Amino acid sequence: MHRIDVVRALAELVTPEDLFVCAHGGLRNDWWNSRPGGVDNTCFLTGMNTVSATALGLAVALPHRRVTALETDGSVLMSASTLCTLGNERPPNLSIVVFDNTVYESIGGLPTATSGRTDLAKMAEGAGCSNCFTVTDLDTFARHAKKVLTDGEFGFIVAKTAKAAAHRWPKDKQKHTDGVEEKYRFLRYVEQLEKIRIHHVVEIGG
Amino acid sequence: MSNYAELIVQGLKQAKVEIVASLPESMLKQLYPMLRKHFRYIQVSNEADLPGIVAGAYFGGKRAVIVMENSGLRQAAEPIARLTFGHRIPMVLLMPHRGDLGEDVWWGHGHSETMVPMLDALRIRYWFVYRLDEIVPSIEKALLHADAGQVAVALIFGGECREVPKHA
Repeated sequence: MHRIDVVRALAELVTPEDLFVCAHGGLRNDWWNSRPGGVDNTCFLTGMNTVSATALGLAVALPHRRVTALETDGSVLMSASTLCTLGNERPPNLSIVVFDNTVYESIGGLPTATSGRTDLAKMAEGAGCSNCFTVTDLDTFARHAKKVLTDGEFGFIVAKTAKAAAHRWPKDKQKHTDGVEEKYRFLRYVEQLEKIRIHHVVEIGG
Repeated sequence: MSNYAELIVQGLKQAKVEIVASLPESMLKQLYPMLRKHFRYIQVSNEADLPGIVAGAYFGGKRAVIVMENSGLRQAAEPIARLTFGHRIPMVLLMPHRGDLGEDVWWGHGHSETMVPMLDALRIRYWFVYRLDEIVPSIEKALLHADAGQVAVALIFGGECREVPKHA
């Protein structure tokens, strides 16, 4: 199962009005090119250990809005304590999808702990998370993803994807924004979507 | 006059804070049960989870703060750096000054010795709050400062604004 195919399958199940938090690495270009509507509905983060926590804060702040974290094995392994917070909070509008290729892809494919004995879905389940699944084929992914996105409960899906099979994006298709621009784009998108003001800019005489 | 915990709650309410993300500790121990009661309280097991949670809440348009021991800066340093250096996402941290003048526990001294260098290294703007009458206005100003400058701001509670060490 190639990551790009899983990303595209996920994109078919969501809408531009859903919000996403996406991890660092090759996943970013896959999602940049697949996100529904091509709009700024995704908070792309640089921190491998901040994705699920940020998605949790967003889901708690906007309980009526569907929020999905696009995680990687490296990121979840670095923030294992977050699983306990997720397991005790379980916001019903939050889903975590982990793209687990079992390697640190961007440095050439050295193995992560999930290429050994570590099982992220079992870790999540043990931490108190609900609806934890590991999937290895696209049909099963689509079935479970549809369930966790529509059942009104927290869900945690680990999609085992092929290693050394990253999709090669031509330069003009690669994400071209830096972290600060991404913040403002996402923030302004949420303001528009929710009809709220998040960042207040004050000018003299204003 | 109210005690420090009541004033922090009052300050958070006046500043329209709705979400508090925290890992409780002993120097603000009267505060934590009140935070659970008055706010959407998210408790973590590791301070490294806290910056992401308040960043997410900020994107959701809700005012949120971190409450943790000052030693938590060391655990949270990497997420703070990623979110503030990488994205300039604002956040507000409230911490007691463990290791301040008169500290009676030996392991608390390192909390203070590392605190200011960590705050400086992470480019967190910080102010010390030592008098009870400073608590309420400081909290509103911290949230305003963080949002206007898109920076991280810390308030460090010492003096009469946290538990007094037993032998001080």
